[in-house]
Amino acid sequence: MKNHVLQISQTEKRVYELFFSLVVVLFILCTAYTQFNPMLLVQNSENFWTFLSEDFFPPTLPGAANLTNIINSVFVTVAMAISATTVAAVLAFFVSLFSSESVSPVPRLAKFVRAFATFLRNIPALVWAFILFSSLGIGTGVGFVALSITSFAFMVRAFAETMEDISQDCLESLQAVGASFPQRVAHGVIPSCISGFLSWFLYCVEVNVRASTIVGMVGGGGIGLVLFSYIKSFKYHIAFSIILLIAVMVIAVDLVSGYLRRELNK
Amino acid sequence: MEPILKFDHVIKHYPNGIHALQDVSFSVLPGEFISVIGPSGSGKSTLLRAINKLISVSSGQVLVDGTNISTQSGRVLRVTRCKVGMIFQNYNLVYRLSVLQNALHGRLGHMKGAKGIFGLYTEEDKEKALTLLEELGLGSFCYNRASDLSGGQKQRVGIARAIMQDPKLLLCDEPIASLDPSSAKTIMDILRDVTQKQNIACIVNLHQVDVAIKYSTRIIGLCKGSIVFDGIPDQLTDDVIEKIYGISKENLVIGGSENEESCIADFAN
Repeated sequence: MKNHVLQISQTEKRVYELFFSLVVVLFILCTAYTQFNPMLLVQNSENFWTFLSEDFFPPTLPGAANLTNIINSVFVTVAMAISATTVAAVLAFFVSLFSSESVSPVPRLAKFVRAFATFLRNIPALVWAFILFSSLGIGTGVGFVALSITSFAFMVRAFAETMEDISQDCLESLQAVGASFPQRVAHGVIPSCISGFLSWFLYCVEVNVRASTIVGMVGGGGIGLVLFSYIKSFKYHIAFSIILLIAVMVIAVDLVSGYLRRELNK
Repeated sequence: MEPILKFDHVIKHYPNGIHALQDVSFSVLPGEFISVIGPSGSGKSTLLRAINKLISVSSGQVLVDGTNISTQSGRVLRVTRCKVGMIFQNYNLVYRLSVLQNALHGRLGHMKGAKGIFGLYTEEDKEKALTLLEELGLGSFCYNRASDLSGGQKQRVGIARAIMQDPKLLLCDEPIASLDPSSAKTIMDILRDVTQKQNIACIVNLHQVDVAIKYSTRIIGLCKGSIVFDGIPDQLTDDVIEKIYGISKENLVIGGSENEESCIADFAN
């Protein structure tokens, strides 16, 4: 038999083969471990479709009083996301100054500040909401604080990285003219990073609008809570309209924020 | 005359074991124009940055205007830094800000509290900056973003920023290394004129030996962290150049018009 001419080296080929077989084995093992049988989906598909087509479809609008209530809670959700992100961004800005080794006046502390932010960030907003719900009770206060904590932690990291990315040269020259730390921040860091900061802020608003719906369902108020109450009382047709409304809300916020971010990066 | 700068047995080791400066001593008088030459890694940048403590030295004293900067910190250090202007190879401007704002950064070290943070410069400072930019040929660019300028123009903004400090000493870290020959000449001319007019001592790190000879009143040759030459340009013979760069002169690009002339002279003979 004629020898094939390999296009990549023999060792590289082995690595790919090994990697691919590992992925397949891992998938099979994981599926077996969850004891989920994909065939169940096919068997029960009839139930699933009836539920969708009869209980959910068509979407119906509730009465006028409830409708204003629903529209109102959509705005509450968006407002909650924006205000929580704003508070988080202001706090994150000050903390991030100390978490970036190249900017911080005490670079040795930077690692610890970062570790703290990472710790906060790795607890999902949903978990925060559950924890706060026990102490603050149901309402937008819970959602607000839960969203603030996670987006604060996220933005500390994102802001610090934005600061690391800008050239350290201009900070060096400000140091050379005898500028103090607050002066270096005001005249070097902020002008160079402001568009990056705003871009991350808008991204966080997008994420929080989505998250605030879920956080709302577990007691954070807003449209999430309203949707959950309709589902619990089996008013699926109305719930379906609310779901569509949430989709519209998320898409609208994404479009506006995406547009603003593109303008910023120009 | 009191020296404006004095290096007293200065040593600098980096944590990675590199000895950037080895027992360096010299002093600088007001109005001197000194070029520091030497191969890459000879410690030129470290020497310059030790003067305003952007890099702190391992031992020895660096006396700026009579005070030992190597032991200073905080407010006292910033006051000393005010007296020392610095110009960088990469200009180191804040490119998002206007040319005028960048020039005004030179005043920050003189300002305290909220005024310094919010950039509330005095009217005198602003007018002085405008006049200075005008003199440097940037009059029509004051409100442009610094990022819109060419290399030579950016370096002129860097000079304006340093001059706004009212410095007694000007440090230039390879100010013309990123510039074309014509902009390079403009920058060197400006540096010489400005420092002469205001009697500012000037220390310039250079790779261009011919430029060093043409502009300096004194040349310092660094090799492996030690001063191997310190004298007037006329004393910089071929032997000395070979000692500084550790390689024979034929293998160096010295450049400049003098060399071309000597080539032509050789042919004529």
